[in-house]
Amino acid sequence: MAGISVEFSRVGKRFGARPVLAAVSGTLRPGEVLVVAGPNGAGKSTLLNILAGVLRPSRGAVSYRRGDVDVPRRDWFENLGMASPDMAVYDELSALENLRFFGRLRGHAVADATLGGLLETLGLPAREHHRPVGTYSSGMKQRVKLAQAALHAPAVLLLDEPSSNLDAAGHEAVAALVARFRPHAAVAVATNDPREIAWGDARLDLAL
Amino acid sequence: MRASTLLSESLAVLGKELISELRSRVALNAIGLFGVTTLIVVAYQIGPYQIQEQDRPHLLSALLWIILFFAATSGLSRVFVKEEDAHTAKALRLAARPLAVFAGKYLFNLILLIALFTLIVPLYCALMGYAVRGVAGLVLVLAAGAVALAATATIVAAIIARASGSTTLFAILSVPLVLPLLVMLIQGTRAAAASAELAAVVPALQGVVSLGGAVLTVSVYLFPVVWHD
Repeated sequence: MAGISVEFSRVGKRFGARPVLAAVSGTLRPGEVLVVAGPNGAGKSTLLNILAGVLRPSRGAVSYRRGDVDVPRRDWFENLGMASPDMAVYDELSALENLRFFGRLRGHAVADATLGGLLETLGLPAREHHRPVGTYSSGMKQRVKLAQAALHAPAVLLLDEPSSNLDAAGHEAVAALVARFRPHAAVAVATNDPREIAWGDARLDLAL
Repeated sequence: MRASTLLSESLAVLGKELISELRSRVALNAIGLFGVTTLIVVAYQIGPYQIQEQDRPHLLSALLWIILFFAATSGLSRVFVKEEDAHTAKALRLAARPLAVFAGKYLFNLILLIALFTLIVPLYCALMGYAVRGVAGLVLVLAAGAVALAATATIVAAIIARASGSTTLFAILSVPLVLPLLVMLIQGTRAAAASAELAAVVPALQGVVSLGGAVLTVSVYLFPVVWHD
């Protein structure tokens, strides 16, 4: 099945009278990593939320296309994986239970061994998989969030500051995750970290 | 085409709610503690003998629903607020269809209410000397009340989840929906206490089921808008 591209045209956002994103256009293509860079407050997270469809733009339009065919908005979420600082997984559940839950919601009955493997590739050792996420460090929680975004092999992967709270090994694990998705998925990374900017095939700079 | 069904997603949400609640026990403790405390205070201060015989059917049925409603309010309003407070709502929005979220949360609230009713009603009857002639009728009224109250609480909880001062807002928004419901439930309970005939509770049941059905139907259309905007 062909990959999905995300086209956004003159997308802007205001919160009340305050503009947070000027008219921005671009395309997120399968097989490509788009880096969204810019200073704090430039609207990187806002743009990713608009691309995900969880925030309505004040102006402009976003469309998901599979080849020449528009993907209906109701089908966006099932093709999408996202991790961002304003997201969390459930503190009362363990890492494995969280992934089982999100897998069930997405209709992916994945074996525990596979889920455990995904967590381990993101640097969360097996001995931690059954502990409640509420007892984790922020870096460990970030790894579970990333696993939640990737577990259904989405066609569009949106990562907002994916290495935040992670150590050097964690950063390498995220780089490996992005590399794994790059051949078939459309990946966007919002970041100011020069190491993450280097992952990009294309770059969109946002200004204040 | 989604690989999951509405039913499987709803059950996944319900399962997650139950596991989270059994581990944190926040809502269970809130409604249990509120319900039992209020019941003991009412029983201690009023008791079975401080109400005139002719006033007993009216007052005892009204007191029962006051205790049940306020105990329920302390727990049921949390189902969506806790998702927003813990920042888990976004991941849930992206993974589940809105109706599955509503159905899972609704079923969870329904289970909480059934647990509350199972705990409080027998205790209330024992402590207040509330003799019920139509036990089957009372069970039907309680069941219909649980279905309708859970529907009302769930949709109002969704509406207020992103607002500040959400607990106060929950009480304010609930009033117009809950007031007629409580009136009918009190009438049904009084009828069940007075008569062993099931027919005695039918008029109240019809009202409760109609209102509950209307709230559920509106919720099906309203919730996706509330959830995504």
